[in-house]
Amino acid sequence: MKPSTIASFAKVSLLAIASAVLVWMGFVAVLASDWIIAITLGLILVFANWVYFSKKSVAGKFLFPGSVLLVIFVVVPIIYTAWMSVYNYKTGNEITKDQAITQLHQVGLVPDESGTTYDMVLGKYAGKDAVLLTDQATHAVAVGTADNFLPLPEGTFTTNAQKVATTADGFTTATPAQVADASSWLTSFVVPQGSGKFVSPQGADVAALMFEKFTFNADNSVIEDSLSGTTYVDNGNGNFVSKTDSKNVLYPGWRQLSPTENYVGLLTDPKLSGPFVGVFIWTIAFAFISVLMMWALGLVLAIALDKKMRFRGLYRALLILPYAMPSFMSILIWGGIFNADYGALNNLLNIHVDWLNDVWLARLVILIVNLWLGFPYFYLISTGALQALPTDIEEAAEIDGATGSQIFWRIKLPLIFQILSPLLIASFAFNFNNFNLVYLLTKGGPVDVLNGQTAGATDLLITYAYKTAFGSNEQNLGLACAISVIMFVIVGVLSMWSLRRSRVLEEM
Amino acid sequence: MSIAIRKPAKGRTPSNLWRHIFAWVLIVFALFPIVVVVSSSLSKSGALSTGSLWPSKVSFNNYLMLFTDSSIPFGRWMLNTVLIAGINAVISVLIGMFAAYAFSRLRYRGRKQSLQALFLIQVFPSFLALAAIYVIFERLYKLYPVIGLGSLGGLLLVYLGGSMGGSAWLLKGFLDTIPMELDEAAKIDGASPSQIFWQIFLPLTVPILVVSTLLSFIGTFNEFVLASIFLQDVNTRTVAVGLQSFVGGTFGANWGPFAAGSVVAAIPLVTLFLSLQKYIVSGVTAGSVKG
Repeated sequence: MKPSTIASFAKVSLLAIASAVLVWMGFVAVLASDWIIAITLGLILVFANWVYFSKKSVAGKFLFPGSVLLVIFVVVPIIYTAWMSVYNYKTGNEITKDQAITQLHQVGLVPDESGTTYDMVLGKYAGKDAVLLTDQATHAVAVGTADNFLPLPEGTFTTNAQKVATTADGFTTATPAQVADASSWLTSFVVPQGSGKFVSPQGADVAALMFEKFTFNADNSVIEDSLSGTTYVDNGNGNFVSKTDSKNVLYPGWRQLSPTENYVGLLTDPKLSGPFVGVFIWTIAFAFISVLMMWALGLVLAIALDKKMRFRGLYRALLILPYAMPSFMSILIWGGIFNADYGALNNLLNIHVDWLNDVWLARLVILIVNLWLGFPYFYLISTGALQALPTDIEEAAEIDGATGSQIFWRIKLPLIFQILSPLLIASFAFNFNNFNLVYLLTKGGPVDVLNGQTAGATDLLITYAYKTAFGSNEQNLGLACAISVIMFVIVGVLSMWSLRRSRVLEEM
Repeated sequence: MSIAIRKPAKGRTPSNLWRHIFAWVLIVFALFPIVVVVSSSLSKSGALSTGSLWPSKVSFNNYLMLFTDSSIPFGRWMLNTVLIAGINAVISVLIGMFAAYAFSRLRYRGRKQSLQALFLIQVFPSFLALAAIYVIFERLYKLYPVIGLGSLGGLLLVYLGGSMGGSAWLLKGFLDTIPMELDEAAKIDGASPSQIFWQIFLPLTVPILVVSTLLSFIGTFNEFVLASIFLQDVNTRTVAVGLQSFVGGTFGANWGPFAAGSVVAAIPLVTLFLSLQKYIVSGVTAGSVKG
């Protein structure tokens, strides 16, 4: 066979396998009537076959697999994040309004004021799941189905010694095996009695008369409490609130579209803007100082080792070890070293300093650890930059009478800076979002919880957003998404600017 | 600092002394945590004794514990990590290579825009979209548990989502340095773009493909957040999540096995890194020198 025949055979078989998997997945999705997934899979199937069998789109053939994964698992989540950021989406406001109203009906379930309870026997009535109910106080008997509550006249049922009805005309009592299986339908089974009342099973042999105190009026979106007579109105921000007492709020609420709330709140609500501004300043300072320190150390090291000398190969291998170590591991090790009780540093020096629980010490530790993680990389790129410098400029400057330090500060350093600036900016952007370092080392702490603070002294925007969205206390996904969008804009603008500056785009 | 740029003196002069001293100071800094973790792993209690960097009595207890204690499936974690990082590295470098070839060699409508869009998407701190990723995979779990929440397959899909942004840039930079005459000559000989790709470019780029694969492998090895959200079951954890669980909670008690686990997991990676050092360094510095 010619190579091209093998290639097209491989192409067709791969496509056939991929199509088969997609069709099977689509079939599963259709069976579960998940139409979004089914349609997505169908589109991928059609596009894949079109792209690979058409003669036209050569670039599409190469870009298709990566683009599909990128769109589904990166672009869609980003859009979802931006969309969530305009919602009031937090603990207590996580579901839709319809779901919230359904849940409120259940929250508003109270026992009937007379406290009526029933003895209950499970069975079938007219072919449907049904219960035979005996009022424990009056011994009145009724049959209940999911549709209605049917009082039975005397003589149509038989009772036991406790005056509890056990059989009735038209009612088939369940066998013990059927009773054991009854939980599948019993959990959602209620017998409506009219006027907001219904009988709700409280186990397999008892039921209680319950009463729904909230009634929802869809016309004006108002909930009435028929017990206290309170009227709750939609406050436009995801909750029903009492008309007369604004502190009387019904939970759960729902996520309400509120386009500017999260963004404006970050700037104006003192509870949010205080921590946000503090964290913002520290994030910028941390990223800036980190890059400056790493670069300074890396550059001096590159200059020191720029000359042929003994042991240079050995030094180089040892010095890039921090870069070769898995970084999550190094960070955890440093966390252990600085631990107050067991830490190697305190043990070695025989001191007791609580490094990670003091605001400024913790910040210092973060910077030192980051310096350790980053200086080898800067050493490598500075070495590259030094070697890329044209050699004749030094001689030309010397002829013009420049001193050694003048040559370095006025000529070489600016040139190196120019060469490295795209990488410096990339490094700034990376440290701006250096989640692993802060999360694994200090978890953003120390946090002054006693003073009600939510952000820690070493929290970066990214760890703060993470805590806001997934923290253990109150979660505010909408706010976290808004912070993510702000970070995206900052880092995105910075990166685009550096990309333009480095003129990579023109070369594209 | 001014000494640094003096004309190089011949032979061993005192001006070399500061270079050696400076290098050694930084070497001590660089090696300190590595020495600490090795010595802790050999100490029975896992903690360093006062005033000494080396345990008074060397014990391999912590290492034994990793492979015998049934509550610590360390071998399983290693296997999970190697599997997921390995599969991801190979597929994502291949996908990245496809994309890089298209970006570097093919001319099509919307090319510049798609490159800019890709660049921007890449900048988004993707794990902040965790909530959305969680929702998507919860839904997938109901239909296909193999790629749903809690599975290694699902985590692999999330990682693969970023594959086009990841290695495509490094690879494109490399492909741009291959002269255009090469593909033009092949085209004249009647080769199709896919033939040019498979038979000319792929063999030419083997060294950089190896480096990209290794960098991608290390990247996945280090990934912590998504893995910790995705993999809740102790048996599906990766090394990063597993080791963090030793020291993430109450610190101290598990410092010994953590240190031993770190040493075992780091040795193959660091060896690999140092043996491919030359290629990695040239890959890393390529960006700076191109300016």
